[in-house]
Order: sequence, then structure tokens, then C-alpha cells
Amino acid sequence: MVTYDDGANAPQPTGPSFLARCVFSTHHKTIGLQYLWLALASVLVGVVLSTLLRMHSSWPDTAIPFLNGFENTPERYAAVRLLHGSLMVFFVLTAAPQLGFGNYLLPLQIGASEMAFPTLNLVSFWLTVVSLVGMTASFFYVPETGINVWLASAAIFAVGALLSALNFTATTIDLRAEGMTLPRLPITVWAWFLNSILSMLIFSVLLAGCAALLSDRLLGSQFFSVSSFLAAQPQNLVSQGSLPVLWQRLFWYFAQAEVYVAMLPCFGIITHLVSTFSRKPVWKERLVVLALCGVGLIGFCVWGYHMFATGLNPYAPLVFAVLASSLGVPAVFLLASWMGTLWGARLQLTTAMLFSIGFISLFIAGGLSGIFLARHDLSSAAVSEDFVIGHFHLVMGVAATFAILAALFFWFPKMFGCRLSEPLGKVHFWVTFAGVYLIFMPMHWLGLLTQSRLLPDAQRAVLASAGASIRTLVTVATICTVSAQILFVINFAQALMRRKIVKEEDNPWRATTLEWSVASPAPESNFGAAGPIVYRGAYEFPEGIANDFAPQHLAPELLAQKVR
Amino acid sequence: MPGSTATHELDLIIEKKTGDGGGGELPPTGRNGGGDDGKRPKGGNPTSKRYYTGMALGIVSILMFFMSLAAAFLVLRSSSHWVPVRIPALMWVNTLVLLASSATLELARQRLAQGRLSAYRNLWAVTTVLGVAFLSGQIIAWRQLVGEGIYLANNPASSFFYIFTGAHALHLFGGVAALIFVATRNFSQAQVTRSVAAEVTSYYWHFMDALWLFLLALLYLGK
Repeated sequence: MVTYDDGANAPQPTGPSFLARCVFSTHHKTIGLQYLWLALASVLVGVVLSTLLRMHSSWPDTAIPFLNGFENTPERYAAVRLLHGSLMVFFVLTAAPQLGFGNYLLPLQIGASEMAFPTLNLVSFWLTVVSLVGMTASFFYVPETGINVWLASAAIFAVGALLSALNFTATTIDLRAEGMTLPRLPITVWAWFLNSILSMLIFSVLLAGCAALLSDRLLGSQFFSVSSFLAAQPQNLVSQGSLPVLWQRLFWYFAQAEVYVAMLPCFGIITHLVSTFSRKPVWKERLVVLALCGVGLIGFCVWGYHMFATGLNPYAPLVFAVLASSLGVPAVFLLASWMGTLWGARLQLTTAMLFSIGFISLFIAGGLSGIFLARHDLSSAAVSEDFVIGHFHLVMGVAATFAILAALFFWFPKMFGCRLSEPLGKVHFWVTFAGVYLIFMPMHWLGLLTQSRLLPDAQRAVLASAGASIRTLVTVATICTVSAQILFVINFAQALMRRKIVKEEDNPWRATTLEWSVASPAPESNFGAAGPIVYRGAYEFPEGIANDFAPQHLAPELLAQKVR
Repeated sequence: MPGSTATHELDLIIEKKTGDGGGGELPPTGRNGGGDDGKRPKGGNPTSKRYYTGMALGIVSILMFFMSLAAAFLVLRSSSHWVPVRIPALMWVNTLVLLASSATLELARQRLAQGRLSAYRNLWAVTTVLGVAFLSGQIIAWRQLVGEGIYLANNPASSFFYIFTGAHALHLFGGVAALIFVATRNFSQAQVTRSVAAEVTSYYWHFMDALWLFLLALLYLGK
């Protein structure tokens, strides 16, 4: 069944056996890296698109090549936004932390040699590729056709995500190494596992929604028909903005939980990294697992808060507002655990750790504005496009990207056998960190400014002019921050070239989990014929022992020898 | 954690393993066991457990797909635009065919467990034929409806009728493919044994059976 041959860690296809090595490889490490390459390509296109969008909103009269190349219509602008969002949400935020790092690391961290269903894994990867091609292609069609192509691609992505989620869950349940009990699982594995369960439930709903909408558009079925909706509504509730409410329900049922699908693995990665670079166990580890479960569970139930403006049952907003606000509880648990781990730690401020701390900062900043949006009374006062964009990008987009970068800096030696440059990485971090705050914090202000309808006209005029300058500031900051990502690309390319020359030590971060018990880059068979045996929890950094850490696989006798 | 307790903490970590004879924290059985050995289906060995898990998870996903449509069905049912579809009589016959196929599938698995291979093959083939008969019956029933002028695009009720029965038929078609696959596959070199493959397939088949009963009840009672 496993038809894997050599070349697991080849980042780019070279040589004659390209098909067997890269296209038809069922090996989890190859597929994980392929997802990461897919995410890298998508993120580069995605940030360029976002720069175009910002430039257009600041200088609407200037001709922008990509925007004006096609028919210069509002639909075209909307299509750019759709492409930016689809690339980023599906192929970066969903693909990288869960499918990329998860595929590469989950089997390694639980001591397995492969995923439970390798062929299925290959199928889900290629479904994802087809979906990426489809969503990109939908941009080039006229809107009517484009929407159909986009929906079909979303449905294909959902199938791929479902198969992956099934694979991840079965792998975690059934393929753990001897001694790898549930309490000993690294938090990353917990996050991938819980996230897979969540994905299995929500992507089915997206699939059903897409299938029904596609059949409406192509076959003329009547699932989302306006007439049946109108007939079901009391007269006073029917307004122009509230027609496609059933589609909205199905979509937001998926999409709100999708936010947590992107965030859960990031929580896992950050918890893992904060502990490793603090040289301390995760503070209240079991509470963190419970908090992850809580995020998944509540995230599943709050779709309605996107629909406060759609004429829901009057009591529904109250329920959704309470549920959405209660998301703060597990979030506070997670924050408390990160702080508790950091407290009195022997901190190692590597680039990976900087990005982790940056994640925590962004998560707090973005999470706070979420409280405004979760309340239906406040949100109707505060919600305007810019406020939501600022909140959403800070907490989901950028924070998750920081987690992805942290993970990349941390696991790069495991994947490619050498480190990314630390000095370059730190410069990249600080520029990006300052840049994203400059971009998204002013957006919150912009959102509040445009909402100030209660003010007299004279004051509004003053505010409006302030708005224009803030808008320009945001755009300039965007251009600078996006350009600064060249630092990362250089760092990445340099490291890939260097890896042929420099041989990194196998465990450069002195980390405890199983993936570091083997050579870097990880050998093809992971652990060889005899799998590892796990003797202890994932985060044990006892003092009074050489190297200050107790790897999971080290037998107690051997550990005793290392006591100073 | 203050430094003074650190060595004590280390002792605890080491002691956990060297103490109380046989490592109470290690799971009782080997490689792929994990922590939940008690739930392992009978007859499965550790490497085949993943197929049961995978099938169970797949069933949950499929259930979620149909449940979200069922929720939409219940929401839209209250609209005045709703013209219920009368379930064709043939579909009740099809239901009996499908129930019978579940029964023959169970009998086939019993024969397999008893080692009576040829009886197993015959009953397995009968199940496949019954499955194909059900699918053909569904197609005929759809044609009858189309003959009566009930199309997908008529109104929400007819749309739901076709998407429920159609999606179920599509899933059942996958089940028929699985039946044929298990029947024709050479298990001498495969990772899974025939009995595991048969059992996992039977779970799917029975689930499709139960799902059909649910959908039929939904369409009948919810019209």
C-alpha cells in the first residue's frame, strides 16, 4: 500500500523520477512539504493582491495594472477580494498549520512511521491542488461562470479537507507509539487531533451548502430560492439585505468554525514553542487541552453572530452573543497558560520564540476587539467594514501567519537539516510586527469614524478628512510590510542553498518530543523498524540533568546517567 | 518551579518508570495499541484497527452532511410555497430490497466467520445484486416522478426529495463498489484480512440502510 521511494525531504522536484517522488508519493513528510509549498505560493500571491486592494482604496483614480487589465468594473474589484480571501483562508491558514505541519509532524510526534491511510492522504492533497487551480481560474471568468467554478472548487476543497481530517483522527487514535498515552501527547498533536474532529463536522456542512447552491445555479433546484424564503417570513422582517438567509446559515455555520480550524493548530504550535523556549513544562497542561476542546466546541455554536442583521428570531442574537462572548473563557485559559509558562522562565529569544510572543500579542490585541463584535448591541454600533477587517486580520490572518512563521523557524532544521538565519529572521520579525500593528490598528479607528452618524455635520467633515489620511497611512504601511517579506524570502532561499554545505546538529533547540529523537532531516522510515517507546510527558525540563531536558523517548536508566 | 525541588521532580520522573513493577503507565499491549484497547473490535489485530476507526469517522462526516440538509429541509418546510412530493410506491418496495440486502450481508459475514467460503461468496453476491436492484429501483422511481411532471426545479420540496434520494443513491453506489471490490480482491498479499474488509464494508452498508430509513421517514412525515 505504501509505495514510497526516496526523496522525502527534497523541497523541489529535481531529476528524472519526478512523478514517483513528488506527484504520486504517499509519504506523509513529502505531502506535508507539498502543502507548505502550496501555502507559500498562495501567500505570496495573496499579499500582492491585498496590496493592490489597499492601493485601490487609497488612490481610486490611479490605474493599477492588474485591477484595470480586465473590464474595470466593481465586480472585478470584488473578484480580487474573493481571490485574496480564498487563497489566504483555504490555502494558507487552513493548509499550512494543519495540513502542512500536521502531515509532516503528526506521525513523527506520535512515533508512527506513516499516516493511517497514505493513499487517502495523496488523494486529499491533489484535491486541494485542483481546488486551488479552480479558485484561481474562477477569477478569470465572467462573474456568473466564475461563481460556479468557485463553488465547485470549494466543494472539492471540502472533500479533500474531510479526507485529511479523517486520516489525522484515525492516525492519532490508532498509530501512537508504545507508551504514548493521551496525557503524554504533545499539545501540537492534541490541537491537530481536535481540529480534525472539528473539520470533519464543519466541512460536511460546507459541502452540503455548496452542493445545494450549485444545484440551484446549474439545475434550477429551489433550495435557496427567494420566493420560498419570502413566503416564510413575516412581512415586516423582509428587507433587501436579508434574502439569502439559508445560504448564510450554512455558510457561516462552516465559516465561523473555520476560523477556529485555522487557529486551533496555531494554539498548539505556540504552546509547544513557548514551553520549549522557556525550558519549562506547559503550565497547567491539562487545562490547555480542555481549553482547546472548549474553543472547538463553542466555535461550533456561534455561527449566528454573523447574522445579527438578517432578521433572526429576536432571542437568537442574545444566545449567540452569550456563546460568542463565552469563547473568551478558553481563550483566557490559553493566555494564562502561556503567561504561566513564561513566568520566571529561562527564556531563549530565538526568532521562533519572538514570533510566538508576537502571536500572543496579536491574539490579545485582536481578541479584544472581538468582544465588541460578539455583542449584538455593540456590534450594530461598531460594525463597519474597516473595524471587522482590522479585527479579523489581526486575530486570524496575521496571528496565524505569525504562528506559521514561528513553526517554520522552529521545524526548518527538522525538515531541511539546517537553520534559517537568526539575525535576518529577527530583523524580519520586528519589521513585520511593527508593520502589522500599523496596518490593522488604524483600521479599527477608521471603522469607528465612519460609524459616527450621531455627530453634527461639521465634525463629521473633520473626521472624514482624518479618515482619508489614516487610509493613506494604512496603505503605505501595507506596501512597506509586504516589501519587508522579501527578507523572509531571501532567508528561506539562502538556507535552502546552505543546507547542502552545513550539517546541523539533530536537535538544535534541545526539544523533548519524538521528532527530534531521529536525525535531521528526518529519515524516510521515521524511526526504523522498531518504533520508539515513550517514557514520559512531552514537556519535561527537569533541572539538575545534563542539557536540562528529558526527551520523551529516553529510557529512565539512560536519563539517570545524565543526572549531574 | 523553584530550583530546590527540581531534583526531587526528576526523581519522580525516573521513579514513575522504575517503580511499581512493569510500568503502570505503559499501555498493556504493543505497537499500535494506544490507550483504548478495550474498545478494539473483536477479531481485529492492531494494524487493522485503523480501518474500523476510519469507517466510524467517515460515517460521522456523512451523517453530518445529511443532517445539515435535513436541518435546511425542516426550516424550509414551513414556507407556503411547499408542495409535498408523494413518495412513489416503488420506493417502499426498494426499501424492503435494501433491508433484505443488509440481512444477506450479515449472513454472508457469519458464513465467513465459520470458514464456509463458498456460501459466503454466494450470499455476498446476492447482497451486491440486491444493492444494484435497489439503485435501479430508485432510478425507475425517479423516472415515474418525472413522468408525473415532478422535476428537481419545481419547488423546494421536490428539490429536497431529489437531493436526499440522489445523494443517498450516490453513497450507496460507493457501497456497491466496495462490495464488488471486497469480492474480487486477492487478500493473500493485502494488509487487511478478508474478514476485516468484509466487516468494515458491512458497517458502511448497514449505515446506508439506516440512513435510508431516516430519509424516508423524514420525507414521509415532513411533507
